[in-house]
Amino acid sequence: MNYALTTLWYERQRYLPGVLAVAFSALLIALQCGLLLGLLSITSIPIDYTRADIWIGSQDILSVDLGQKIPMSFVGRLSPENPEIDPTSIEPFIEAFGQWKKPAGGTSLCVVLGSKLEDDACGAIQALTPELRQRLTEPDSVIVDTSEMNRLGLTTGIGQTAEILGKKVRVVGLVSGYKSLAGAYIFCSLTTARKLLNLKSDQTTYLLARCYDRAKAPVVAKRLRERYEDNVDSEKKKDMSAMTSAEFSWRSQMHWLKATMAGVAIGYTAMLGLLVGAVVTSQTLYAATVASIRELAILRALGIPRWRMMSAVLSQSFWVGIIGVAVAVPTIWGMSRLAEFAGARVMLPNWLLGSVLSVTLATALVAGLFALRSLRHVEPANLLR
Amino acid sequence: MRMMIDDTIIGGHDLVRMFGDGDSQTTAVDRVSLDLERGQFALLMGPSGSGKSTLLAMLSGLLRPTSGRVLCRDEDDTLDIWSLTDRERERYRLKYCGYIFQGYNLFPALTARQQLEIVLRWGLGTPAREAKKQSEEVLSMLGLGNKLNLLPCHLSGGEKQRVAIGRALVKNPTLCFADEPTSALDWHHGEHVVELLRTAAHERGATMLVVTHDPRLLPYADTVFHLEDGQITDDQPVPLLHAAAS
Repeated sequence: MNYALTTLWYERQRYLPGVLAVAFSALLIALQCGLLLGLLSITSIPIDYTRADIWIGSQDILSVDLGQKIPMSFVGRLSPENPEIDPTSIEPFIEAFGQWKKPAGGTSLCVVLGSKLEDDACGAIQALTPELRQRLTEPDSVIVDTSEMNRLGLTTGIGQTAEILGKKVRVVGLVSGYKSLAGAYIFCSLTTARKLLNLKSDQTTYLLARCYDRAKAPVVAKRLRERYEDNVDSEKKKDMSAMTSAEFSWRSQMHWLKATMAGVAIGYTAMLGLLVGAVVTSQTLYAATVASIRELAILRALGIPRWRMMSAVLSQSFWVGIIGVAVAVPTIWGMSRLAEFAGARVMLPNWLLGSVLSVTLATALVAGLFALRSLRHVEPANLLR
Repeated sequence: MRMMIDDTIIGGHDLVRMFGDGDSQTTAVDRVSLDLERGQFALLMGPSGSGKSTLLAMLSGLLRPTSGRVLCRDEDDTLDIWSLTDRERERYRLKYCGYIFQGYNLFPALTARQQLEIVLRWGLGTPAREAKKQSEEVLSMLGLGNKLNLLPCHLSGGEKQRVAIGRALVKNPTLCFADEPTSALDWHHGEHVVELLRTAAHERGATMLVVTHDPRLLPYADTVFHLEDGQITDDQPVPLLHAAAS
């Protein structure tokens, strides 16, 4: 029998504010972090929605949208030096900012993404169906995301023409789920991308490759870094970056997290959420303990040690935390679906959910520690009138 | 340490308790000495404000006297309970003392049985099964065998006070202190409570000191102490008191 749980259930209305405060904290932090992750994940869409295992970019690259020109001759650094890499999979990938001139006038920032279009291409995003890839083989043709039409000044979409960096393009298809932050993603062929961005045929911004065994990608990336990036003895060769897709995705997201200071803002409001939760929970437990002060004083008179009562209060804070978290989980799920329905991108990976719930539970326990001060009022002599 | 004589289990010696400072200082208990014997059912009587509860609190280890000593027989030795550390005095109370107060002070969320179990499990570390058995035995002895699983809100005033008595007796204390245990009860229930306390004293060998101002308890007492203005005016065996009253 758990006295703390029995009391909690019997006096559930008294403890309800504490439970709701814990649930509110967890909900607030989870949704904020989920929205932030969702926002940041947009910056790594070109990595996450393509199939490459290894990414080769310019030296000290910070994010996928900040790629600089590299020579196609870097292909020689990938194979045959690295037998784990499938040499037939190595292909260029182009990503760079451009300026989109709307059909009816006005400009907007855009991000040009040029990739191979063959069936086995690892740089073509998953949404590009064989039919769409076929259409992109036409010179100067591009595909955009449906949600970006307004930003790009498009009305009907397919068939409309616009200009990128002064060169005419024609929209030949639409995809969905690839909304961007800074500038709309413009999907096209390598040939079109080179033409729009004035790149020569022996230039690219990235080289992509796949490994026979995907699990070997970190070893290959590390070897390439040691040879061409980290090796201080070969200064001349320090002219490229080598990463696995997961590493590059993380690096891109972290760059934008730092650059926008979004992490600080989210961290600050998350702290506020935790603080509100902790204060309300602490006060709830404090008030509940004070309400039982005479009963506890009897136990003190009978010689029951104070630590027993302390552990009872902490046990209550633990259960308030557990119940609060149990209330929070379905609420978080429901609210994130609602946010997605409204067009926001919410990412709640298990590690994030686990961390949020652990932190909230720990906060409830800390609130219990603060509520222990109520036990100072337990004085058996006060029972005598 | 002074050895205690005869069958005395606890004794107060020159107990003084003052409250307040300077001009507002009052003396609640003034140089009171008394001895209680093993298995004795004693009453501490007197008008309101005479210092009964204060004396009880000092004897029972709950309120430190301004001066004086409380000696308690501990197996072969004698303890001066106000020279013990707080932790030692806590252990002393756990080992020897039971308390019954005017209010029932039962946890509203716990059943009658759980009110007793919590004392055994938290205080003595008694295993759950054993605590349950002992609690049921005590409550059955108090006539609550069929109300073990009821919450305080479903018990009458008399039943609640019996649960409170059970809570005081469940760890088999050598000393039991009661402060106005019948004041919230009608005489029918109050009489039953007093009989229970006296039976516990005589059958379990527990010494009972009951603070009361109710003269109807007199016929049940082995000894009565009268307190007025913080001083004992007399302490007599009950037959003498009855004779004096008539």
